[in-house]
Amino acid sequence: MPKSLSGSRSSRRLRARPGASPKRAAAPATEDSVRPDVRDEMMMSDAPTVLDEPPAPVSASGECASAAMVIELPARVRKGGRPQKYKPPAYPRFRIFIIDSGWNSVARRVLRHNFALIRRLRKEDLIYLLSRRKSVEFIDRHRSLIGRDPIIAVHDLEAIGTHGTTGFHGFHLHLGILRTPRQSLMALQTFARFVTTHRHSVNLEAKIRTGLRREGMLGAVEILLHSAPRALGG
Amino acid sequence: MLDRFGEAISVVLGALALAYLVYEIDRRKRKLRDLFHVLGSEDADISAELVDMVESGELQPYTRGAGA
Repeated sequence: MPKSLSGSRSSRRLRARPGASPKRAAAPATEDSVRPDVRDEMMMSDAPTVLDEPPAPVSASGECASAAMVIELPARVRKGGRPQKYKPPAYPRFRIFIIDSGWNSVARRVLRHNFALIRRLRKEDLIYLLSRRKSVEFIDRHRSLIGRDPIIAVHDLEAIGTHGTTGFHGFHLHLGILRTPRQSLMALQTFARFVTTHRHSVNLEAKIRTGLRREGMLGAVEILLHSAPRALGG
Repeated sequence: MLDRFGEAISVVLGALALAYLVYEIDRRKRKLRDLFHVLGSEDADISAELVDMVESGELQPYTRGAGA
């Protein structure tokens, strides 16, 4: 009687990865690349706990002096092993939405690889991650956004609190229009720097126009002289 | 005659170089405007939908290990 293929496959997988936790094995593929720090922590926890000492000289009686010299380090305590209760930031200035319908683009890969860092840098703000299904539905309702995702939508809560969404109320970073990993990474870094440095800005719109979009004569000169806006401008 | 011809050539080449510079700066500015799109009244419906999704509880802030 032939063996069940699925049964043999699952047992083989279990044998191949004895240390893998069942929860992680069941996690969706998207989580793997979104959270590389967790993967690093898991790899670090596998480090040996016994320090190998160099061989000590043998004493006259023939006993090895190093027998008592083996130092056992305390087992590594994993930080963040237990999920801490989420505390929303006290005074968020921005709401950041990440909309990604899943085009296989370089920008998507760059965003996924650097998401954990962005999350850490933007602890003061609220980040909302739309799932792929929600992103597709959202973009389907707003078709001008097709091909521009992954989109990082930044809502200025001060502006929205003052006059709603009728006037200026934030900006979109359309990563999907970029074609190279270098451009995508530079755009992400520019975005992170801008949002961090202008968190308390009174006139955010003017800062975006001069700082990000290089409008005006000074902007033209900067486009010509500085490498970052030149590279982003393609 | 040759002097005038040379002058005309250099004026035309200078104008072409200037036009290319203006075109190139404008192209890069357009790309930057498209990349960093400022949200105004014409984007009100897009933003309002995201705000509604947050206020209705459909979207929750991202925490470690939890997505939308």
